[in-house]
Order: sequence, then structure tokens, then C-alpha cells
Amino acid sequence: MEYITSKDLDLVALLQQSHHPAAGAVVLFSGDVRNNNVGKMVDFLEYEAHTSMASKMIERILNDARKRWNLNIAIAQHRTGKVRITESAVVVITASAHRAEAYAANRYIIDRIKHEAPIWKCEFFTDGTKEWGGNCNCHKDTGNINKHIYEFEDIL
Amino acid sequence: MKIEVFAILKEYFDKEFEIKDPLKTVEELRAHLAFLNPESSNVLKICRFAVHDEFVADHYQLTGSDNVVVIPPSSGG
Repeated sequence: MEYITSKDLDLVALLQQSHHPAAGAVVLFSGDVRNNNVGKMVDFLEYEAHTSMASKMIERILNDARKRWNLNIAIAQHRTGKVRITESAVVVITASAHRAEAYAANRYIIDRIKHEAPIWKCEFFTDGTKEWGGNCNCHKDTGNINKHIYEFEDIL
Repeated sequence: MKIEVFAILKEYFDKEFEIKDPLKTVEELRAHLAFLNPESSNVLKICRFAVHDEFVADHYQLTGSDNVVVIPPSSGG
């Protein structure tokens, strides 16, 4: 599977491939582009990635999730290029015997992708301005650019 | 050595460029880049550096033939 793609994410096709005879739970997370951020109206986003590093990192994150939970399916894809409002910028699908594992693993994977993978968004606002935005700011709290504060840690 | 930058760093530097100064470590390279464009220094402080697709620490010994990638904090998702 291509972890980084400039093509539209086909959520329906990906979900169709994500059914497994031993899995009673399938969780699909789609990170959609919304029309507002920090009080400004967003026109569209443009994503850039260091493709080879981001791909390796996503593979590593998926493997780490497979070690932590008993998953039948774990996939993730992230867009590059222009992504419009309501389109999906990133998708994570996990499947497991029961829902607790699929939910927890899904949250772990998206959280680590957002903090760690060399992927960046540029927000283009309707007023014509643009901004490289939404940076991971964990270093302000951890004092270390390699240490992050993850949402999934709250639920483990 | 060849340098490649991403995202917000492209507002301060060309996407790819070459540095001929004899810089020994990543720490020296970070300082040199900040010297070349002082406005980038706040971003550079929180960037990670990579060689051959792997992150390298500040004390990593650079060679003239290295292709160094400068990675700002992630903002995917």
C-alpha cells in the first residue's frame, strides 16, 4: 500500500478491503479538511511530505500498533497536494476481534502520524492569506523536539 | 553538502541548495543556516535534521557529500 499519495483517498474502497473473518470491529478514522481554523475561513489545504521518510515512519507506526494490540487490519494513507473542504487528508483503518482494541489502536496510529511523520499542511484562507499551520508544539511542554504529548496516552 | 528544506523553511531558503563551508556537525549546520537567514532561527531551533532518510542528532558528523534534509515540526493530519 502507498502510505503517501497525491490521489484522492478512496475511503469506500479502503473500507471494503478492511473486512476480516476474525474481526468483529472495524474502525475508520478520516481526517477531513474543515472550512475554518482559528476563527478564519479556510479555502483549501495543501500538504507536503518527505515521501520516503514519511512512508517508512507510517509503516513503523503501524507495526508498533500491531505489536501493542491484536489487530487483523491496520492501514493508513495520507494525502499530499491540494485537499479541498470535506475531502479526506488522512485515513486510518483498524480491525480487531473486539472494538476496544480497534478504537485504541486507531487513535494511537493517527496521533503518532500527526506528531511524528514529516508531513506538513499549508492553510489557504478565503481572505487570500496562507499559513504553514497546525505545527506540533509539544516541545514547548516537553523541552525536547523528539518528545511528544499524545492524546492516546489519556486512554491507555 | 546538499541541503533540502520543507514547508515553512521554503519561505526562508531555496528548496534545495548547496553549502560549501566546512561544517562538522548538525549543530554547526543549524547555526550556519540561522546565520544565513536570521529570520529562520526560531524555526530552525525546533527542526530535526535527517541524512539518508534517518534523523540524526546535533553531534552527528557531517561530510561534504551528505545530503541533509531539514525537517520542521510535523503538521500532518
